[in-house]
Amino acid sequence: MEHSVTVREITKQIIKRFTFIEILQGMALTLRKMFSRAVTIQYPKERRHIAPGFRGQHALAKNQAGRAKCVGCGLCAAICPSQCIHITRAKGQVDKYEVDILRCIYCGFCVEACPYGAVVLTENYEYSDYKKENIYMKKDKLLSNWDKYMPGKKGEEYFDKFWRPLSEDFGTPPGQSVFKGKKE
Amino acid sequence: MIQKEAEKIFETRELNVNMGPQHPATHGVLRLVLDIDGETIVKVTPYVGYLHRGIEKLGESLSYFQALPLTDRMDYVSAMSNNIGYVVAVEKLFGIEAPERAKFIRTIVGEMSRISNHLLWLATHALDIGAMTVFLYCFREREWLLDLFEMICGARLTVTYPRVGGVRNDVPQEFLESLWKFTDEFPSRILEYETLIDQNRIWLQRTVDIGVISAEEAINMGMTGPTLRGSGVPYDIRKHMPYDAYDKVDFDVPIGTKGDTYDRYRCRMLELRQSNNIIRQLIEKLPPGPVMVDDPKFTLPPKDKMMPITHPTKEIAYFILEKACKGCGMCMRACPAKAITGEKKAAHKINQALCVNCANCLVTCKFKSVTVVSGGKGLSDEKLAELAVAPDQLPEDIKQAQQLLVKQFEFIKKGPKAPEGDLYVATEVPKGELGFYFVSDGSGKPFRMRLRAPSFIHAGCLPRLCVGHLVADVIAAIGTIDIVLGECDR
Ligand code: SF4
Ligand code: SF4
Ligand code: SF4
Ligand code: SF4
Repeated sequence: MEHSVTVREITKQIIKRFTFIEILQGMALTLRKMFSRAVTIQYPKERRHIAPGFRGQHALAKNQAGRAKCVGCGLCAAICPSQCIHITRAKGQVDKYEVDILRCIYCGFCVEACPYGAVVLTENYEYSDYKKENIYMKKDKLLSNWDKYMPGKKGEEYFDKFWRPLSEDFGTPPGQSVFKGKKE
Repeated sequence: MIQKEAEKIFETRELNVNMGPQHPATHGVLRLVLDIDGETIVKVTPYVGYLHRGIEKLGESLSYFQALPLTDRMDYVSAMSNNIGYVVAVEKLFGIEAPERAKFIRTIVGEMSRISNHLLWLATHALDIGAMTVFLYCFREREWLLDLFEMICGARLTVTYPRVGGVRNDVPQEFLESLWKFTDEFPSRILEYETLIDQNRIWLQRTVDIGVISAEEAINMGMTGPTLRGSGVPYDIRKHMPYDAYDKVDFDVPIGTKGDTYDRYRCRMLELRQSNNIIRQLIEKLPPGPVMVDDPKFTLPPKDKMMPITHPTKEIAYFILEKACKGCGMCMRACPAKAITGEKKAAHKINQALCVNCANCLVTCKFKSVTVVSGGKGLSDEKLAELAVAPDQLPEDIKQAQQLLVKQFEFIKKGPKAPEGDLYVATEVPKGELGFYFVSDGSGKPFRMRLRAPSFIHAGCLPRLCVGHLVADVIAAIGTIDIVLGECDR
């Protein structure tokens, strides 16, 4: 009995060796894939869908009256691990608010630190330029980013979802996501 | 005589070859100096440090909260696992425990990170050895996982998602559904990779009996993770010292027998299936509940509770109560807008025209003499003096908002304080054992932060794995220990 098993095994091995069966199987798989839909996209003609809350270039939020919400308390500058936010104040206003984008690591801590909900990260990730000055974000650029990337309701939704922690994070809000069973 | 002369002329020497630091197969900037005799390796000397950024030193100048993004940049292939390792260690140091739901979420994303790491490992390992197609197939699934990361935290690679005491935000329902679908499909995708290489004769020739290391030797060299388990040692921190929710799930620790490159490959393939299983169990069991620990000392305060002061429609004005002010000058120094003036020991005054409403004076004053006036912006000093009430007599919600604001400022400027002492906490990241060692002097920053990076130790094992094999096998050896130089050089 044992003997016949080994003989069978050896024959199997020999057949495998001479028929290239495993290589043919692999090639059959790749051939099949030729007729399925491509998973790659042709950037920049096609673009990925960017999820809301994407951590890209900054924007300074505006209130209903269209003025900057930022009061210049400096908490965002204090928490920033790469220390790339610079703020000065004059005459009861924020005079300068600059983000050295090239040093920013997009951790999103500035958003979390701001008690006023005044700074957000937008979905803009395409801002390469030939000049450094164009990438150094000044206050007016940051404010125009708000109009550009967070128009209308989008800004409010951003704060609802990504300005954390809210008190619901310390409790059990209704409608929390749980497993709802397999969908048939 | 002639022979001796000939030996002098045709003396044989080992050839000294530099491989890297710019070499596509070294997975970063690893430099190996190979001494070769013909095609056979005689000696290998790895040089590391080309990607050194001083993360350990940087950690000493940042608070425990701020240092989290540094860990993303160590093993950028599985940043989530590094984050989790860090927060688990800091939580132990603080003596707090994350809520159940946060632990479950962290374990789910940690296993997702393990899958995406192993996929990238398989992709590049196979590509190095010569199997192009696997590379593209693996990236197809990895993309799915990265999209899921983006959905929960807005970043694909450097996620910074877990927080000390929980996670940044709860996961949405679509996340769970999409991930469930992924776990449904993933086993069939693993079969696809295996169809391509598992029995492929070229793959077998390049991996079987290459880079063999015995269990004893592997332990002696400090190997961990799948690299160690390939040699048959069932050591897995998730199993032996469970953290987060690993004690709530059922899983096996796959091990190899021979300790060669093929066994380590098999181990990781089986781990992919185990991780997939773990994720499924956790999604099914995910309990409702908070995602942040309710311990105000160690977490940022809830933002909505600060709204009575911080909301723009409140038009807050800050005012110093003349009677209560002791004239200590603290607020003057704290005011970034230089709006406060006053003599020492005399009541100070806020120049409303200069004040930017930043609340710094409010959180600095120890004598409860700074108060807020709702709707007071733009009023004259006399009018404000009329409206202002002592902080104790303010409405309840404003009082609470004020306290939380103070907390927010303190948390950010000083960081949560750790108790004195030192501790070492290890977690199982996809590459092996990632350990954090903290020495704390009781301040908000670590006195010393030391990292045990698995890649660094594995890079040190390279000479042992390569010597005696051919030059082409060095590539297989680098692939099989799964190193990332960002973590190795720190
Ligand atoms: S995202 Fe992070 S690094 Fe960038 S400015 Fe904000 S805090 Fe600084
Ligand atoms: S953005 Fe927010 S945290 Fe930063 S200075 Fe303005 S108000 Fe303060
Ligand atoms: S910190 Fe308080 S007590 Fe001291 S000067 Fe300012 S308002 Fe007066
Ligand atoms: S609120 Fe800020 S700017 Fe105004 S007085 Fe106080 S510290 Fe100065």
